[in-house]
Amino acid sequence: MIAGRITKAEDIISRRVGDDVVVIKDEGQALYILNKTAAFIWDLVDGKSGIDDIVGKLCERFEVTPEEAREDVKKIIKVLTKMGIITYNKELSK
Amino acid sequence: MTQTELKDSDSVNLDTAHSEAGTIRLQIGDVCCAFRFHDVEIHNRLKDFYSVFLTDNSPDIMLEMEAFERLNPGNLGKAVRKTQYTHKTNNDFQTTSNIISGEYDLTNRFIKITGEKRLYDPDSKINHLNRMISLAYYMACRIKYFETYPAMMVHGCGILRQGHTLIFTGPSGVGKSTLAGLCGEQDGEVINDEIVLVSRPDTVSREVIVRSVPILGAFPCRRIVTAPLRCISLLKQGDKTSVHRLDKTEAYLRLMRQIITPTCIGHGRKREILSLIADFSMEIISSIPVFELEFNLDRKALWQAVGEIEEMVNEEARQ
Repeated sequence: MIAGRITKAEDIISRRVGDDVVVIKDEGQALYILNKTAAFIWDLVDGKSGIDDIVGKLCERFEVTPEEAREDVKKIIKVLTKMGIITYNKELSK
Repeated sequence: MTQTELKDSDSVNLDTAHSEAGTIRLQIGDVCCAFRFHDVEIHNRLKDFYSVFLTDNSPDIMLEMEAFERLNPGNLGKAVRKTQYTHKTNNDFQTTSNIISGEYDLTNRFIKITGEKRLYDPDSKINHLNRMISLAYYMACRIKYFETYPAMMVHGCGILRQGHTLIFTGPSGVGKSTLAGLCGEQDGEVINDEIVLVSRPDTVSREVIVRSVPILGAFPCRRIVTAPLRCISLLKQGDKTSVHRLDKTEAYLRLMRQIITPTCIGHGRKREILSLIADFSMEIISSIPVFELEFNLDRKALWQAVGEIEEMVNEEARQ
């Protein structure tokens, strides 16, 4: 089990445009379009859920094994963290 | 200085502002902004410069424009290039170079600006008048419409054609003024080659209105224009002329960057302002078709392409 909480960064907003999710930061100077999986994960980032919760929801929604889902979630969390639009605090257990 | 520290002598009776020496009142969309200049020369020049926007309406906000001359032209030019606007609270703005600053007392609908005299000079290449106009407009909207902003300023060249407005937008240097320069009398009328005021879509008709604003650009504004918006074109310089319709996501992303926000002058609530432009951009792309227009300096091909865009818009409206 992987503990930790994922939260959206402050001063960012997101909007759904058609099938895409657009994340806006830096007063509108940085804009990111999230793919389907990233958008799904983004919607689950609520400051309470951890990686295990998201993996569980991903398995319910898509035809993937828990192992595949976990790999995808970890990769996407890493990318979104690098973009500065989420923070992943491994120390905070649920 | 906070708003409670503004001196009594700084306040002004807005009802009599029109009759006070050195004051000009400008109509900017649905708000009236009064500017009071202590410098007679600056006042007279700006009165002439903004003549088509002068009004007798009751002001929604007063800006007291105080001038000083601390830097010589060369040093001021260098300072302007390095200047960034900052703010300590939601009630003021400063600049990193100290060439201009402002204090807001929105309870009394009053803003005091203190800056280098050349920043108010319409003939100076380094003037900050457009920033002051934007500031006045957005602050007046905050007061009059409780921050709902019925219209927003968009960085773009507006051209009036056959009773409708076309907006050509894109980042600085993309060719908005070049396009305006290629607009002959038979092609349309340049409303402004820098900034236009774009209303929110009407809730029933979805109609969006474009208005000219007192913004300095390469082309002088000869009259106030108010006309429905037909379409928006994102400009791209190229070696050929071509058009294509943008999908909603791309239109949204590219249009949002061209919306001028109150953050340009010391407005600290970033998240609220981001939401404002995100929602405004969404409303516009939901009502108005957005295209990419690649163009070179071939004037004939440019206006043929614009004609194609209009035809596509008409076709979509018929469907």
